[in-house]
Amino acid sequence: MAETTYIDAIRRALGEEMDRDAAVFLMGQDIAAFGGAFRASKGLFEKHGRLRVINTPLMESGAIGAALGAALVGKRPVLEMQFADFVSCGFNQIVNNVAKTYYRWEAPVPMVIRLPFGGGAGAGPFHSQSPEAWFAHTPGLCVVAPSTPRDALGMLKAAIRDPNPVIYLEHRFLYRREKEDLPEGDLLTPLGRAHVAREGRDVTILSWSWTLHESLAAAEELAKEGVSVEVIDLRTLSPLDEETIFASVRKTSKVLIVHEATITAGFGAELAARVADQCFEWLDGPVRRVAYADRPSPYNKKLELSLLPGRERITAALRKLARY
Amino acid sequence: MAAAKRSKPPPPNNPVPVATDPRVLRRAHFLMRLSRAWDARFEAMARVGRIGRWYSAVGNECTTVGTALALGANDAISTVHRDLGAVLTTYLDPTRLAPALFEDGDATPWDALRPSPQSLLDQLASQVFGRRGGFTRGVDRSFHYGLVRPDWGIRHVGMISHLGSMIPVAAGLALANLQDGNDRAVLGFIGEGATSQGDFHEALNLAGVMKLPLILVVENNRYAFSTPLSEQFACEKLSDRAPGYGIAGETIDGLDFDAVHAAMNRAVARARAGEGATLLECMLPRMRGHAEGDGSYELIPPAEREAYLRQDPLVRFEASLIERGHADVERIREVTEIARGIIEDAVERALLTEEPALTEATRPVFAPGEVATAFARQSTEVTGG
Ligand SMILES: Cc1ncc(C[n+]2csc(CCOP(=O)(O)OP(=O)(O)O)c2C)c(N)n1
Ligand SMILES: [Mg+2]
Repeated sequence: MAETTYIDAIRRALGEEMDRDAAVFLMGQDIAAFGGAFRASKGLFEKHGRLRVINTPLMESGAIGAALGAALVGKRPVLEMQFADFVSCGFNQIVNNVAKTYYRWEAPVPMVIRLPFGGGAGAGPFHSQSPEAWFAHTPGLCVVAPSTPRDALGMLKAAIRDPNPVIYLEHRFLYRREKEDLPEGDLLTPLGRAHVAREGRDVTILSWSWTLHESLAAAEELAKEGVSVEVIDLRTLSPLDEETIFASVRKTSKVLIVHEATITAGFGAELAARVADQCFEWLDGPVRRVAYADRPSPYNKKLELSLLPGRERITAALRKLARY
Repeated sequence: MAAAKRSKPPPPNNPVPVATDPRVLRRAHFLMRLSRAWDARFEAMARVGRIGRWYSAVGNECTTVGTALALGANDAISTVHRDLGAVLTTYLDPTRLAPALFEDGDATPWDALRPSPQSLLDQLASQVFGRRGGFTRGVDRSFHYGLVRPDWGIRHVGMISHLGSMIPVAAGLALANLQDGNDRAVLGFIGEGATSQGDFHEALNLAGVMKLPLILVVENNRYAFSTPLSEQFACEKLSDRAPGYGIAGETIDGLDFDAVHAAMNRAVARARAGEGATLLECMLPRMRGHAEGDGSYELIPPAEREAYLRQDPLVRFEASLIERGHADVERIREVTEIARGIIEDAVERALLTEEPALTEATRPVFAPGEVATAFARQSTEVTGG
């Protein structure tokens, strides 16, 4: 057993899957000898060479389109966007080409697009966004956002093996902060299955990625006040594991949805709608959300922190909800 | 202004080294006539409102057939909306479809891999009508699909509506060849209008940097919907862009089958030899409007329109067949009639086929696996189906 950080787990997944299947290859900017902006592919170029760890020019749309072409003839491309924010330059390829192919003519598109995302680093409006809702809205894409090294490893491996396009959101703030002892072996996390990260009776939190950790901290705080909070780590946003979500809500009768992305038309809105539809008779309070204000992410760290949905805001929201 | 300059005849072609093989000429003639007959049939239906819209490929046949004929089994093609000729060339074994027109030795080894040409034609016709028997079984229109069947030697990736988007995909098909260490080439098509898209630049730049075995054919028919060349780009010829990407480039007279085929052969040889990509700009006559009956044809000045009609590449090709003793008038008539009959039958059969089952609308968006299973588990009340 060795202590593995979140970014180590991603590197391990890439390495193991490249060893296992010669069709798997990596594409991205500065990912070869340099190992990528966050060193996710460090060491893989030396082992697998320039045709399996491909440095592309500074491009997103064309790289995603090229990955689609390769996938259509049997390859399993794993693309790295240098920052999730830049995926907007490849939006058309993802939503119109990649996502629609299987429905249109039943050609599987095994492809993973890795998105290093999220704020907390004072990186400003163009290096801090949480774009999951852009993709969850598009039929044909699987959208995942692991919160732990164990799931970062297991979900990336599962994503690479699945015959469908997977948008894989990896939170930059967690890269070196989250550590876990991980056993050797082929560790997979099923796609499309949420995980009960903390059991509780009084309120359910639905969250993922960085805010999952903030939610756990808030739950701990509420426990001291005698409120038992259940925290669900969605892990996969689309397709959604309704079974786990609805079971928890029907048990606690109260729901708080927490995400880092901006609130309006964020994925939390979808969760709220589904819970309202399917758990109406069980609810004892409003379905509440804690999320980012409808603003770009400001550069100054104090300004950014004032908008991030961290543990204090979650704690306050939980207290209010618990009173219903 | 610049428009006048560019509507002059295209610059002279590179010297054409060899007279084209008579077997290639026979095949090309039949395939071009097949493509033309298809357009004639669908244009007629569009005129009487039996189909909503038709984008004619009349004038493009020499380029689509002349380039696609230079490919071998499992080279790949990526097509857009006026590339029926390339699709037919890739899919069909003409010697089985019209045996009366071919001689012993005309069938290629690839033909032996290809499935029944009749069944592929039927599927194609059903596809265009959005019927059950089409490649997408009703969920997408005309040439918006792909057919990747390595066992048939066919790797065809069709278009999405967003023009330009398929150029990087074609580059990716070429990248896979590079990774596999084979010598297969990829042929992509694009209209001159869509060369203004960012994906054109990104894909050709990648092709240059990685020396991808890609041939991008620009079908320059001088208009994009209503937009003339002078409002589309400011360079002299689109092939002038090739050196900017570090790839080969040629501008070819798309009226001249031999020139197109020879240029494509040169490009394929470069691709197979690992020398990288080629941008082939083919100058085509605008013989039709953008879509039948949409008013765009009337925008072309009448004198220019008439000049294009006189430049019909298929008529020129047939004249050259006669001139060079490859065919006589009777043979031309026979090929034309047989092609017309084949298309007529395929269309009639397709019109008798059934509409798709309504369940096609809600068919899976995910290929079978964990994700598809998770998608199916979601409640239909909240997923809308
Ligand atoms: C990205 C995109 N923008 C706009 C359109 C609408 N559109 C369809 S065909 C067309 C003109 C295409 O011109 P060109 O590329 O020259 O091909 P041609 O039709 O002349 O063969 C346009 C503008 C489109 N399909 N895709
Ligand atoms: Mg055009």
